[in-house]
Amino acid sequence: MSRAYRITVKESETRELRGSDEICTKLELLDILPPEDTAGLLKGALAERGFQEQADGTLTRQDGGLTVTVDPCDGTVSVKSEVAETVGLEARRHTSGFDDIGPSEKAIRERMKGDLKADLDKKAEQESTRLQAEATAKLEKHLDELQPELGRVVNKVTREALKQKARSLGTVQEIHEDAEAGSLTITVEV
Amino acid sequence: MTATVSRFEFNLLRLLRGLLGAGPIEALATVVYADPGSPPCLSRTAVRLVEDTLAKGVVARLVRAGGWRVERFLRTDGPVTGRAWERLPLDERRLSFSGHSLRFLMWLTGKKPTGPTADPWDCSPHELTAGDELFLALAFDALKPLGDVTPVLAARAAFRGNRLAWLLGPGEFVTQAAVVPPDFAGWSSGSRGAMMECLQPLLAERWLAGERAKSQIADWGRMRRQGEAEAATLAGFLAACETAGRPDLARFLLRTARIVLPAGELRADAWTAGLQGSGPPRLSDRFATRRAALAVLAAVATLQKWDQAARRVGYFDDGYESSQVWKADWEAAGGDALADRAAAVLLQVEPLAAGGASKGTP
Repeated sequence: MSRAYRITVKESETRELRGSDEICTKLELLDILPPEDTAGLLKGALAERGFQEQADGTLTRQDGGLTVTVDPCDGTVSVKSEVAETVGLEARRHTSGFDDIGPSEKAIRERMKGDLKADLDKKAEQESTRLQAEATAKLEKHLDELQPELGRVVNKVTREALKQKARSLGTVQEIHEDAEAGSLTITVEV
Repeated sequence: MTATVSRFEFNLLRLLRGLLGAGPIEALATVVYADPGSPPCLSRTAVRLVEDTLAKGVVARLVRAGGWRVERFLRTDGPVTGRAWERLPLDERRLSFSGHSLRFLMWLTGKKPTGPTADPWDCSPHELTAGDELFLALAFDALKPLGDVTPVLAARAAFRGNRLAWLLGPGEFVTQAAVVPPDFAGWSSGSRGAMMECLQPLLAERWLAGERAKSQIADWGRMRRQGEAEAATLAGFLAACETAGRPDLARFLLRTARIVLPAGELRADAWTAGLQGSGPPRLSDRFATRRAALAVLAAVATLQKWDQAARRVGYFDDGYESSQVWKADWEAAGGDALADRAAAVLLQVEPLAAGGASKGTP
């Protein structure tokens, strides 16, 4: 007479999962000065806002889990959001075996281990999707804050560039800035 | 004179005339989708009639497409004005066709192209003459209304490597995998350059139709792949024109831009309004899709660079004639205003621009 027995196999593992998203765009810098002079002004304005110069000439700032990188040479901005998490994954499966017919317990366990591996991969994929969505949400939120800040940086660079250009044209008589109206009037005697 | 041909040959000749624009292709759908099988060869009479129809029909198609117009194009010794047969030297107007054109016709008549038993007709693009390339591109363009035939053709090397077919509709070559457009070197000179002159109005018409159809594209992936195919095609073609000193061959793009960028407020959403749902989960993919949708507008910046370069060319410099022609084209199209409008629309899909998008959704 066959005797049934219950087999339970459990697999667990810890994985380091990541989700990331990145956008790249260019700052709207006007060609008032030669590119290298504009790059110098941009570097200064960004340094005041906590950006640090890297070995490759770019300026970088860490904002929480986000990295904002600006290439002052061409005004390229990249904002990268990365979320990493150590996730404990666990999967469990049950089945029945018979002591006289069908595959042996060892064969059943081997097959179940393969199934459990697939279960763990599926769970890891779900977690990765969650982290991906988290990274994207963080990026979207941060863009809303970064947009006005970089707008102010561009305005500052443009103002400084206009002043430098005016000085190169002649003697600057008067500079009048109206921050509220966003206007800059420079009187130059040529 | 009466000539007698078999039913197969009769259908082949009808199809050939249809592919060259003699009536709507839909009327020949029964011939295209039929699967009667091909005979081992054609009768002498049928071959003579095919030769005659190709020789006259392709030329007539080029003339109808735009060769009849009095236009100004660049030649090595300066700009020449007139109709195609007045401004082009005879050797550039001469077309030859190889056996590949006839074999394609026999395959299309004898086999159902979309059927599972379709004969694997194909050939290397390098074996095609300029006449073959033109005929196959015109056939490809004519078969578009049948919908399911062009994807089958686009998978074949003879069409995938056909530069004119790409220019007449890069969207037709969009598949799930990234497709790289062929190299456009050589398409700005000789008989191929002459064809390009004649086909300017047709190219403008096709690109305009492509731009207008974008608002109907619902799938984000499809939009991105089509935009990327368009951008790569235009980049390759414009680079070839620039290298050959033939900016006048990109006039169709200027004509397209003039219509898709009218004066007044323009919204980038007009191109992407048909996209369904919130799009891909990654923000970077959403922005890439919206940028890709504006590939034609992005190409206007290249045309503007040509104008800026043309302004710097002096009377005694090389390329003076070419620069003058392009400056005239640019001014006639209101190029500066077009470039400003294109830049304003492109700015709307930039994430950090003032007034730009921040979520990447239309």
